[in-house]
Amino acid sequence: MKSTRWGIAIGHWFDSERLSTEKFAYILMAPAAIVMFGVVVYPFFYNVVISFSNMSLRHFRDWHLIGLKQYEEVFSGRIFYTVFLKTIIWTVVNVFFHVTIGVVLALILNRKLFGKAAIRTLLILPWAIPQVIVALTWRSMFNYEYGAINLFIAHYLRMAPVEWLGKPLEAFSACIITNIWLGFPFMMTIALGGLQSIPQELYEAADIDGASGWQKFWTVTAPLLRPVMIPAITLGIIWTFNNVNIIWLVSNGGEPSDQTHILVSYVYKAAFNLYRYGYAAALSMVIFVILFAFSLVFLKRTRASEVVY
Amino acid sequence: MKEKKGRFRKIIALILYLTVIGFTIIVLYPIINVFSISLRPADRLLSTSLKIIPDGASFHAYKVLFTETPFLLWFWNSVLISLTVTATGVVLASTAGYAFSRFNFYGKKSTMVGLLVTQMFPPTMLLLPMYIMLLKLHLINSYIGVIVIYTSTALPFCVWQMKGYYDTIPFSLEEAARIDGATRWGAFRKVVLPLAAPALVITALFSFMTAWAEYVVAAQVLQDTSLFTLPLGLKQFESSMSTQWGLYAAGSLIVSIPAVALFLFLSRWLISGLTLGSVKG
Amino acid sequence: MNRRYLLWVISLVIISFSCARSTISDPHQIVIWHQMRPDERVVLDQVLNEYMKQNPGIKVTALYKETEELRSGFQIAAIGGAGPDIVYGPSDQVGPFEVMQIIMPLDTLFSRDYLLKFNPKALVYSHGHLYQIADKIGNHLMLIYNKALLPNPPRTMDELIEIGKRFTHGSSNYGLVWNYTEPYFFIPFLTGYGGWVLDSLNNPTLDTPPMVSALKFIKALRDRYRIIPKSCDYETADALFKEGKAPMIINGPWSFGDYKKAGINFGVTRIPFIKETGLWPAPMVSPVGYSINASVPSWKIPQIVKLIKYLLSPEVQLKFTNAFNTIPTRVEVYDVPSVRDNKIVRESEYQMEIGRPMPIVPELRAIWDAMRPSYQAVLGGTESPEAAAKEMQKSAVEKIKEMNE
Repeated sequence: MKSTRWGIAIGHWFDSERLSTEKFAYILMAPAAIVMFGVVVYPFFYNVVISFSNMSLRHFRDWHLIGLKQYEEVFSGRIFYTVFLKTIIWTVVNVFFHVTIGVVLALILNRKLFGKAAIRTLLILPWAIPQVIVALTWRSMFNYEYGAINLFIAHYLRMAPVEWLGKPLEAFSACIITNIWLGFPFMMTIALGGLQSIPQELYEAADIDGASGWQKFWTVTAPLLRPVMIPAITLGIIWTFNNVNIIWLVSNGGEPSDQTHILVSYVYKAAFNLYRYGYAAALSMVIFVILFAFSLVFLKRTRASEVVY
Repeated sequence: MKEKKGRFRKIIALILYLTVIGFTIIVLYPIINVFSISLRPADRLLSTSLKIIPDGASFHAYKVLFTETPFLLWFWNSVLISLTVTATGVVLASTAGYAFSRFNFYGKKSTMVGLLVTQMFPPTMLLLPMYIMLLKLHLINSYIGVIVIYTSTALPFCVWQMKGYYDTIPFSLEEAARIDGATRWGAFRKVVLPLAAPALVITALFSFMTAWAEYVVAAQVLQDTSLFTLPLGLKQFESSMSTQWGLYAAGSLIVSIPAVALFLFLSRWLISGLTLGSVKG
Repeated sequence: MNRRYLLWVISLVIISFSCARSTISDPHQIVIWHQMRPDERVVLDQVLNEYMKQNPGIKVTALYKETEELRSGFQIAAIGGAGPDIVYGPSDQVGPFEVMQIIMPLDTLFSRDYLLKFNPKALVYSHGHLYQIADKIGNHLMLIYNKALLPNPPRTMDELIEIGKRFTHGSSNYGLVWNYTEPYFFIPFLTGYGGWVLDSLNNPTLDTPPMVSALKFIKALRDRYRIIPKSCDYETADALFKEGKAPMIINGPWSFGDYKKAGINFGVTRIPFIKETGLWPAPMVSPVGYSINASVPSWKIPQIVKLIKYLLSPEVQLKFTNAFNTIPTRVEVYDVPSVRDNKIVRESEYQMEIGRPMPIVPELRAIWDAMRPSYQAVLGGTESPEAAAKEMQKSAVEKIKEMNE
């Protein structure tokens, strides 16, 4: 009753021109957009304002605007640039492995395989299990004397144990390894879904043309998987860039000696331990601008926001 | 020649299978470790022995979890919130994603980028203003505040994902349906949505996981212990230097079960392969 | 389809009616935020239930938050004028809360006669005003030993090293374990060599000969005498002690309940005497107590004071002391037989006597953050103790300047 009336009303809208097509689009899109922007707008502008203020321990309730001083602080310390570089390495290495491992496993799981369903379900576990206990378990696995990893290295690979959590490069690697473990099931699931959209006929045609497995991948699979993977990769990059949890938990807050930090964990430490909210807001704005600039470039190159068909 | 190719194929197949098994082992080891922690007496996170079943193992932690803690209450609360977020996410993302995929309208590009932009701001500094906002709206200590925030966290990815998937479904299919007399909405519902099932599954899974395991926002917003979700409940076992690791580990494992179950349930639509043969027309 | 949409909207609206007003303006509800351990919470709940029975019409809710979260969560809530009525935690949170003006002075709320009933260490003042009254004095590190492995604990550092060597063999048995990578757990050694972290004007005093000596000593324990593991964080130390692989651990009173549950027959004593300097290592001692949120409306204050007085009463303190061997703050409780004869409490007091009060000023946070990286660099072998001490001092001064801007 009511639904058909709505249906007819909407139907009337489309028998006319372009403007009404736009209306339909707006109706479809409005609820999501309203929820999104409503939630984020106020906190965002709050931070913009705070970043120009001196909100801190001594000026907690009575802060006032002081211009660009916090930004000067952010850019003047050399530590900003080293941590920025580390963040880039962190992001690139993580996303690269997430996607590669995810896609490879999805391809393998898409074939005929014994116990496929069970394996697929088991491989989803890192995504399903709460992050905290897993990060702490990995941390204990990296323990120099008692951790499973060093024991494995010493016994089976006959190599010297690594001081995982005591040295900066090793600690950073430990965090990366843990995060890769946590992140690949997500990409694998996306890839599995994406593989379903590729029509079988294209593979058959390629077979007739005598293409090898490798060629089939690059000419058929990869291009058609792209539109489905691009959102995941873009957001994967953004999320990994901003991921505080894993670095914090595995390295115990930046150990050794505050060397294991990415920009966001540095914001957390520098700001929250010392109540420097103005500084934290400025640093957060800088992180935001970096990611914004990156996405504009990235999206332009992949033309992901256009209609494909 | 053909025989060599056949054997080569078999070797490749074996290598691939072993790769998958290898990864499964890598995935399982830490999880089995967590299981060991849950069985270990005296709340020890670490152990000097690598035994999977520790000395003095018992299911005591599980028993306590279900009988002496409000675990089931937290479970129910989490289910309520997560399913709401999932349903809302699927509805909003499937419609918005369709709009972005099929139409070219004023403000489209900026809205799409805008969705991404909402993810770029580091979450740590958003907590304070979000709390103040919810306080002013009297939404502190209520589920709706939490549900709205979770949905908005999950939406950008879901909308983009749905759009990307819709992009792989040829428009000709909808045109064919419309020629047969379906309305735009009908074509969307009956032709496009079923083909987009894998993406809907991903949207559902992602929304669910976002809500199910989230801690920070819930901790700031929910003050009443009867409203606690599972992550908040698990945190009660933690104490900066005196964590009840047995309970915590047991709780964590149980918490992952619904997520895995959901994946199992939805995976038949994830790999439905419905586009097979539908292009010819 | 639209019907379903409608259903969602309606259900969301219904759920929204479960939203609550801020509890701080609710005359029938008092909320306490605390960081008590799980076993302590059981006693707290019993005690609060008793209170609610005696005072019908008032609902008291106790919410646990982990120490760090308690600090940041309370700040965020307070800035919005909300949050709990009472906040319970260690004394070092008083400093920052007072500067941010989110807790209220208690001088006018409790009479002088009342305050005289307490051990003076339990009253936490900042800038001349009382901000917190504690119900336990503790959080200090002590030497805890496994009586089954080691019936007689060492009295001097040399004895400790001897015993340590006896017990260290293989790769998993060590004489002494403790969370030595964390500055707080390093303090007793700093004081044992005569050093301290702040001067009376709250300036850092980290670049001193005692600091260098203390750093060298820790390194020696690991590299020369080899009685402590190569890398040892809190969980590792805890596990080794619980497994009986180490007879001695340096830890605080929060762990007593845990070790009892693990079946360890443990004893407690002072961290051993350092002959070189003639000093006993002095850990930081901090009271843990109750403060009131500055946003509490004035008409609610009498109720809150009544509840706090109840929680600080001798009966309640006795319950906690008997259960957890913590040191109470009401003077009359010390004479109760079960407390007087409690060996663990006595030994804990023995250590506390020579402990130094933990500074409550916000600068202490900067000190920890400044000490940690350099301290860990010394342990990692990438910095010499002398250079590290200078680095710590420089970093602390810088951070304090930044914090006070």
